[in-house]
Amino acid sequence: MPMEPWPRIGWRNLGRNRRRTVITAAGLAFGYFAIVLMNGLMGGMTAEMIENGTGFLMGQIQIHAADYLPQRSIYETIGGRDGADVKALIQTATADAAIEAAAPRVYAGGLVSSGASTSAAMLVGVDPDLEPGVSRIFRGVVKGRPPTSGANEILIGAEMARQLGVDVGDELVLVAPAADGSLGNDLYVVSGIFRSGIAELDGQFAMLPIGRLQALAALEPDRVHEIAAATADPWLASEAAQRLAGPISKLSDQAVVQPWTELRPEMMDYAQLAKSWSFVVIVIVFAIAIFGVANTMLLGTFERRREFAVIMAIGAAPGAVLRTVLYEGVALGAISLVFGVLITLPVLLWWHNAPPDLGWLYGDFTMFGALIRPVLRVEYDVASALWAGLALLLTALLAALVPAARAARLLPADTLSAD
Amino acid sequence: MTTAIGRAGFGLCLVLGGLNGLVASGKIEAQETPREIIDRVDRILRGESSHGLATMEVVTEHWQRSLTMEMWSLGTEYSLVRITAPRKEAGTATLKSGDDIWNYLPRVDRTIKIPASLMMGSWMGSHFTNDDLVKESRLVEDYEIEIGFEGVREGDDEVWEFVLTPKPEAAVVWSRIEFQVRKDDLMPTWARYYDDDGELVRILEYSDYREMGGRLVPAVMVMVPQDKPDERTSVRYSQLDFDIDIDEDFFSLRALQSGSD
Repeated sequence: MPMEPWPRIGWRNLGRNRRRTVITAAGLAFGYFAIVLMNGLMGGMTAEMIENGTGFLMGQIQIHAADYLPQRSIYETIGGRDGADVKALIQTATADAAIEAAAPRVYAGGLVSSGASTSAAMLVGVDPDLEPGVSRIFRGVVKGRPPTSGANEILIGAEMARQLGVDVGDELVLVAPAADGSLGNDLYVVSGIFRSGIAELDGQFAMLPIGRLQALAALEPDRVHEIAAATADPWLASEAAQRLAGPISKLSDQAVVQPWTELRPEMMDYAQLAKSWSFVVIVIVFAIAIFGVANTMLLGTFERRREFAVIMAIGAAPGAVLRTVLYEGVALGAISLVFGVLITLPVLLWWHNAPPDLGWLYGDFTMFGALIRPVLRVEYDVASALWAGLALLLTALLAALVPAARAARLLPADTLSAD
Repeated sequence: MTTAIGRAGFGLCLVLGGLNGLVASGKIEAQETPREIIDRVDRILRGESSHGLATMEVVTEHWQRSLTMEMWSLGTEYSLVRITAPRKEAGTATLKSGDDIWNYLPRVDRTIKIPASLMMGSWMGSHFTNDDLVKESRLVEDYEIEIGFEGVREGDDEVWEFVLTPKPEAAVVWSRIEFQVRKDDLMPTWARYYDDDGELVRILEYSDYREMGGRLVPAVMVMVPQDKPDERTSVRYSQLDFDIDIDEDFFSLRALQSGSD
């Protein structure tokens, strides 16, 4: 059986008025471009938020005693009063394929004082050797250097340094209520100053070697409040946390392993909201496009009404005319899609690999306590690109429906005898 | 400055600055307002200065400890407490001067000022707060005082129960304080503190009334937080002297720092 001619006729009809075809295809292609880029930018902002929110200090996974959060009581160390084998916990965590590094932490609320000025501070005891693998806090050091293991050195936020009027090399008094009820106090030297851009961290957080904080807070060396772990990709954290729960509970039965999605549910909510918005964007953009395309095609089929009448008069069925116009719509969609992908890809590649810096327009801002850089960072979103492509084809097809139906309903005699 | 209620009844008033007990002397006229009663009690009964020794026992669910301390006060503005035992904390001192609180830490030989944000923090790990030290001298300024009850309560003692509610503009922690005083000897028996939600947060009870430094005083105070009824802080005085020879210089930062030995 010879192939029916209607797809070819539909395709060739596109060439009848090339300028109109190009303009219509450009509209659809630009819609595609806008959707993929907007969703990419949204994904970029989400990724920026999650990477900075989890990567700057918290880590993507944390292990605590079951009752530690949210109060952060100094007594609720992993394993309780008896403590836990911190080394084994870290080894178990890093044994998981998704986990790149893990580090222990101790927290204590206290006072940091210099001369006449005193600030309340969250003192964080970190392992200076392991911490850089988990968080980027040391990379935020703008002056001096991180504290050294075993030394009475402290790294403070830029805002705290400003409030206390201290600089690198100055002496600070630390006072913290200790776990034995006494008032721990000791002298420290400011080894460095960090700036994160997050007000809470810069104004209230201070890092010192974990052993020194344990001594200050009267905690034994095997008592830590937290093991923080980093995964290569934040989205691997949930599954990794589930895998870890078993082995970790063997080491300390009251310990809980939580991914950032549980620790910071608002970030997770935002990520999901952004994802569902990508579909809303698709619907909005193509809902606008569909009327434009339908209008153009109505015009095109109206101009060709005599031709349709002629082929129907010589024996073509109305269904054949209908299919011809639908084929034309699909062909238009296909051209638009190719065109759209061609203009989208380069920009996507460019903004993904070298996001334009909008620092001149607006500065850093924070969202859910995570710093967002003012850059047009784009994330690849394959699902969104596929959906947008499908939506584009569907749009072209839907836009062709009414013109096709109208063309198929032409009455040849009336049409040809008109005028 | 009318601070009898503060000095005798509240918070750390008896730990810091409030060493001057109440002595039964002088008859209160029935037609006087609560404020006048307190004013008068204050004027009649407050010593200009005081000195004392006490032991503070703190019991929490995590630990239990005992501190012995020596303290001095002058008027309502100044007080000083110096820990004398255990050895680890001996020499640690707290100075109250007006609205400010300073801690001296002998281990590092430094003095630090407690920031406003930490006024509600625990004082020396106890159930008293730094705010208790500062605000006790201001209770009468910050609160409206009414008599909530007058008559016989448990036992045979005739009592007043004062109700203190914050003045609209006062920046205070408690939404309501109730305070019971025995009528016959003007001894405080208890104080109850309520938070913004009207919940009873903590109860301070006085007991062991005895003569010290020539005055009748409650020798024991026990603070019980209501959310943790198994925890408590008790303060027991072993010695109290009133109207001692002491001046403002004694309460200077320099003295705070040099006084450790």
